[in-house]
Amino acid sequence: MEQTVVRPDSEPKPRRWLVMFDYLFYLLLLLAIVGLAYYMYYYLSTPLIVTLTGKLPMVIWVPILLQKTGTTLFISLVSMVLATVFGFIGAAGRLSRFAPFRWLAAIYVEVIRGTPILVQLLFWYFGVAQILSISLNFDPYALIYNFMTLLQSNSVVANIDASLFDAFFWGIIGLSFNYGAYLTEVFRSGVESVDRGQAEAALSLGLNSRQTMRRVILPQALRITLPPLTNYFITLIQDSALLSILGVTELEQQISALAVVQNNSNIKLFIYVFGALYYFVVCFSLALLARFLESRFSKAY
Amino acid sequence: MDSLQHWWQPFLVGAFDTLIYCVISFPLALLLGLLLCVMKGSRFTWLSTPARIFIEVFRSTPIITQIFLVYYGFGAILVNYNLSQFDNAWVAGILCLGLNYAAYEAEVFRAGFLSVERGQTEAAYSLGFSGGQNFWRIVFPQAIPLMTPPFVNDFIYMLKDSAIISVISGTELTSIMQRATFLSSSNTVPLYLMGLALYLVMSLPISYVARFFERRLRAAL
Repeated sequence: MEQTVVRPDSEPKPRRWLVMFDYLFYLLLLLAIVGLAYYMYYYLSTPLIVTLTGKLPMVIWVPILLQKTGTTLFISLVSMVLATVFGFIGAAGRLSRFAPFRWLAAIYVEVIRGTPILVQLLFWYFGVAQILSISLNFDPYALIYNFMTLLQSNSVVANIDASLFDAFFWGIIGLSFNYGAYLTEVFRSGVESVDRGQAEAALSLGLNSRQTMRRVILPQALRITLPPLTNYFITLIQDSALLSILGVTELEQQISALAVVQNNSNIKLFIYVFGALYYFVVCFSLALLARFLESRFSKAY
Repeated sequence: MDSLQHWWQPFLVGAFDTLIYCVISFPLALLLGLLLCVMKGSRFTWLSTPARIFIEVFRSTPIITQIFLVYYGFGAILVNYNLSQFDNAWVAGILCLGLNYAAYEAEVFRAGFLSVERGQTEAAYSLGFSGGQNFWRIVFPQAIPLMTPPFVNDFIYMLKDSAIISVISGTELTSIMQRATFLSSSNTVPLYLMGLALYLVMSLPISYVARFFERRLRAAL
């Protein structure tokens, strides 16, 4: 039996001396890991920053960063849920039979996708929020507090600093409004990718248009939209780092705060590299998890 | 409205600077992306693994972390080596945008090369082309039209991501907008709207042209 040939025999063979570099590469990788371990050990045993409470060694960073990772993930989760709501509304608008709804949704998508998210966040927090608080006396903290009181669980938000909450609130609004536009397109293309025959079959079986949407088209569309949704969630985690510009104390803000107080520029660089690698570990492991889940649950009916 | 009359000229200058940042960074990203793509496709581990690590790291860290790392981290180091003339927002911004987008362009290049039919390469090899000749004369020219729409899209993304240069106090549209709103004593919303409108004016025409060419390409295939 002849095996299937993946690469034709006529393709040039790699030169042997170039393959030798592979072993050199593994050696260098090993050396780099050992070197990094030594570097870490060196700074672990040396106090780095002098704070009011005394000397703060590097061991302290990890719990601080872990705590702020919680904040970052919380912001991302809430924004993602809100963005899904915006995305659903937007997609309903874009697929609507009423033309003005379609135009409104199209303007929403085009404007949001054509402008930087950073400028949008500044617009919400330093533009809209200021105007609302001056002219309408709008206070998001009071809003949430009253809402939680209504649910008889205001103790959850009782010990949050109200002045910090403002940036938090408008940051989440900005993030979710931005991602809502991208998700609008995801949901719209999901619905449009379901074969037209499915809707025709459902309608001819006597389902009304609402039942067709809910029972036939949406379940199939959601399965298609899940992979892009997880992708957008991971980019949302990355973009939530922009909230540090508004003064929200999340992961990025914490990394900068650790680095700014350093006098030694080598240590400064080390903290930034450490922070970037920390972000990489968080986002990349989530991406791997998403890929794994996709491969497990992507089976069709 | 008075503030708009006062600020529209600086805003235009800022928009021009934003364009300059992108026009310099994007070719850089393309060159580096092509290099990364070729490295990643290599059969040698010592070439493919560093490229893979570079791409994954740059794609899964926030760009603001990268720009802080380049500007505040490496910038502080540069002073130690008497290279402080390179410690400015132009160098850091262009470097950061270029490196970040190189990781994305590498994937675009890879997808483009993969979409060229395998039979073309086999035909080239059976005609006696070498690996390099096959790449530059057969695969590359055929992949270019396929890769152009994603490149244009990435250019628009870069235009938007260049707003991040304002956090390291470079002079471009966003930082001028922030200065204007900081100095303005009245309602700042019109200034923000003018900034947003300028970004739209820059990005929308490019995206419409890209969509037009994409449609023509799809019709041609």
